[in-house]
Amino acid sequence: MFSSILQTLPQVLIDGLALGAIYAVVALGYTMVYGILELINFAHGEIFMTGAFVETAVLFIFQGAGWLTDMPAWLSYVLIILIAMLVTGALGVGIERVAYRPLRKAPKLILLISAFGVSFVLQDVIRFIAELKTGNYIISTPQLFDQRYQLPLSSISSWFTDASVKANTLFIFAIAIVLMIGLDIFVNRTKWGGAMRAVAQDRETASLMSINVNKVIVLTFFIGSALGGSTGVLFAQQYGTIDPYIGFILGLKAFTAAVLGGIGNIRGAMFGGIVLGVLEMFASSNLGILTGGNFGAEYKDVFAFMILIIVLIFKPEGIFGKAIKEKV
Amino acid sequence: MGKIQTMLQANKLAQGLLLAAFILVTAGAVYLIDRSVTAFLLMLASLLLLYYTSFSNGMKWSIAVFLLVIVIPFATSGGTSRESYMEVATQCGIYVAMALGLNIVVGFAGLLDMGFIAFFAVGAYTYGIFATGQANNFISGELFPLSGGSFWIFILIGGFIAGIFGILLGLPVLRVKGDYLAIVTLGFGEIIRIIFNNLEKPVNITNGAMGLSSIQPPDLFGFQFTFPHQFYFIVIGILLIVIFAVRRLEHSRLGRSWKAVRENEIAAQSMGIPLIRTKLMAFAIGASFSGMMGVVFAAKQTFIDPTSFTLIESITILVMVVLGGMGSVPGVILGASLVTILNLQVLTEFTSWLNQLSQQGIFEVPNALSPSKMQRFIFGMILILVAVFRPHGLIAARNRKLPPEAVKDPSPPLSKPEVQPD
Amino acid sequence: MSDHQEHNVLKVTNLMKRFGGLTAVNGVNFDFPKGQISAVIGPNGAGKTTFFNMITGIYVPDKGNIELDGESIVNIKPDRITSRGIARTFQNIRLFGSMTVLENVQVGMHIHLKTGIVGTLLNLPRVRHEEHDAQREAYRLLEYVGLAEWYNEEASSLSYGAQRRLEIARALAAKPKVLLLDEPAAGMNPRETSELTGLIRRIQQELNISIILIEHDMKLVMELSHHILVLDHGEKIAEGGPEDIRSNPKVIEAYLGKSAVEEEIQI
Repeated sequence: MFSSILQTLPQVLIDGLALGAIYAVVALGYTMVYGILELINFAHGEIFMTGAFVETAVLFIFQGAGWLTDMPAWLSYVLIILIAMLVTGALGVGIERVAYRPLRKAPKLILLISAFGVSFVLQDVIRFIAELKTGNYIISTPQLFDQRYQLPLSSISSWFTDASVKANTLFIFAIAIVLMIGLDIFVNRTKWGGAMRAVAQDRETASLMSINVNKVIVLTFFIGSALGGSTGVLFAQQYGTIDPYIGFILGLKAFTAAVLGGIGNIRGAMFGGIVLGVLEMFASSNLGILTGGNFGAEYKDVFAFMILIIVLIFKPEGIFGKAIKEKV
Repeated sequence: MGKIQTMLQANKLAQGLLLAAFILVTAGAVYLIDRSVTAFLLMLASLLLLYYTSFSNGMKWSIAVFLLVIVIPFATSGGTSRESYMEVATQCGIYVAMALGLNIVVGFAGLLDMGFIAFFAVGAYTYGIFATGQANNFISGELFPLSGGSFWIFILIGGFIAGIFGILLGLPVLRVKGDYLAIVTLGFGEIIRIIFNNLEKPVNITNGAMGLSSIQPPDLFGFQFTFPHQFYFIVIGILLIVIFAVRRLEHSRLGRSWKAVRENEIAAQSMGIPLIRTKLMAFAIGASFSGMMGVVFAAKQTFIDPTSFTLIESITILVMVVLGGMGSVPGVILGASLVTILNLQVLTEFTSWLNQLSQQGIFEVPNALSPSKMQRFIFGMILILVAVFRPHGLIAARNRKLPPEAVKDPSPPLSKPEVQPD
Repeated sequence: MSDHQEHNVLKVTNLMKRFGGLTAVNGVNFDFPKGQISAVIGPNGAGKTTFFNMITGIYVPDKGNIELDGESIVNIKPDRITSRGIARTFQNIRLFGSMTVLENVQVGMHIHLKTGIVGTLLNLPRVRHEEHDAQREAYRLLEYVGLAEWYNEEASSLSYGAQRRLEIARALAAKPKVLLLDEPAAGMNPRETSELTGLIRRIQQELNISIILIEHDMKLVMELSHHILVLDHGEKIAEGGPEDIRSNPKVIEAYLGKSAVEEEIQI
């Protein structure tokens, strides 16, 4: 049993890291908004999904204009990511303006309900547009990179079988690392990043220190949503097929990643995403082996969810988070 | 207009006559005109009209029961579309009961439960597994299916099992902050569906995606319930019990504890209210209403599969509660009825009307925009709009005002309130 | 009133609480005498509210012991501590805003009501009786604090001073041995404060409840208290009767800084 698990382990790790990188970047959006507003932005999963659809739309446009053949693939890829980030960033700002800002003083429950509403509206609007344009809401997106590199691991040790890496997987790693380092520098080294941290600490005091809280909140939504949107592009390129409902379960898991790392904690979210991605990939390829075929890959979402429950029971503040107590 | 209104408010007899006339006209219309959705909806609206009269509570209830048990079944028996009317009314009843259950969790206790349909599924499968041959797969002796007579006991068992699931989910989750609860329950709803969808191995318990078919219909002393107009009476019976239970709970020690926890957890705890146990009670009782209706649903459909218990169903129930007014029993009843009718009647009628227009070439509506597919959009918009513009819903929750004679004690007060010279 | 009463209702020994690097309460010992009014005073950030939060179980002390009538109440949940006989009010008012004034007081009676879910659903005569008694009792408490005429109003619609009195009525409904008042006069005008002073004294004298209060209004503290505990930076710097505290140089220093000690300033 263990030898068969070990044989596929390198492939599981590669795929798990790719999935984990996606979770990590989406988790950043949850964690940033939570840090500032103490709101779980349920619509974030849908913003990610919108990013994936923007990717497909832009790709079709590029294709139609014949630019894809003129431009090197990496350039179109980067361009598409930038466009998707702009669109989803603006979408995030719009959502904040319409559905969250009027409710900033309302009870938490009302805010959460509004967030759910946004999430469902987005799903349907995207479905409508996709169905109108293509006749179907499940869409296959053209691949920019279709190379695959073989890693001849079996020649190193007979413990392993050969693994392969998609060119796109490498691209995911590269983009995810650039985004995460960029965000880390932005938050910790720049003036606006400082303002963000100040608002997250204490909104009242920050506003007394002549920080424009509204601007900071808008900025947070823009950056968080742009990150989510960019991941949508990576996701679409990695897995090829998208539909308007991918954001729901993925958002749930990215949220799990954010909780795992300690919600509100940016580095924690990156860590949580990677851990969750690898664990999920491991479960999806080995659950069947481990349970003698009784429970297979169809339970991988159950597995991810169990992780969320276990973290909430034993370490609700997450691995890197601090326990916060309400002031009495 | 204003004059008439004030006059009406003062005059109960006028109100009664007007209401009677309205009921007579709409019920007559339903009876005489075949397939008139408008007449049917107007007839149901008489219940809303009744709510706004100034009759005493007992009077309102008597009239409501009379309408539900005699007038509505009789009026709909006139035409060919009797079963489709009764189907709508039955579905309304099922959803109202579920929405009242969710209202305990969301409205009274302030806990956002996004996976409420899971408890409905638990109830449905509880009956479904034992009222088909399915249970033979894991209990030996070829005892199953149980006869339709067991349905009545299973209403209680289904409610009980769903309540247990509510506690099992609540135990780990209710320790953490409120906003996590929404997302965990959301996940839980999906998980239950995934499990029901796959639990055909190692032991075939749920029959997986194939679902359970030929579930035994209820049986009362040899009388089998198979048509909607028969199920209607079961549903109305349970619904009346549920409404009475909710009203009792609302103004009880437990109901006050729920609201106290919702308003301020720390103060509630400092007044001696155990937080976890109080929240668990809300979860369990809400879940058990849903579980009971799950049993009825399974028996009515005679077929269940995991596709009946998706996220959109959980959202639907949440929309009912939010639209009607969180914490408001009459509001939730109205919200649930409106959304059910919207779902079953308005959207489908509107869709077929648009299709007709398209076929006649008058007006081209893309298939993607067909109203029956726009559920998520409509529900999402309702949630946002209610949250932003009318957070208390259509009928806001009202506090019970006690008359002075209920609170004043004939015996002398603890001490005279001190009168301070100004 | 006997000043030489032997029995203490609440005994705090070597109490300590840290938050990260900050020691909010550090090794405080104090005995709260039964049936009397005690005050905990000190400058802002002296650890007074943390002290209260440990007594009511919201925080668990890192060290030390709290005894209520000789039994330790450390590590017991807030709701259990209430049923042992401690009730409190809050510095930042924590009412059940959308419930009626009467219902707020009824929630305070929670631990003394016995109705369970089965009794409620069956609407047993016993249950109706208990509920009716509770309503009347709650109304009497409202009369006692002078809020009876608003019993049907929403709690959040009351004026600030009335909300503070409602918090007291709600705490009294729990029939406590010890009543903790966290800045009961904060934000009140002089007239409201003087009414409140009378109310607190009546509670102590007529209902025989031991009262511990945190307050910044020195006039009220000096007028009411039999015993005063002074905290500064989490430590006890003085204790004694109002007269001792008024003239204690350490206290004056804590409030007004070192230079003020030389000048004779009344607090």
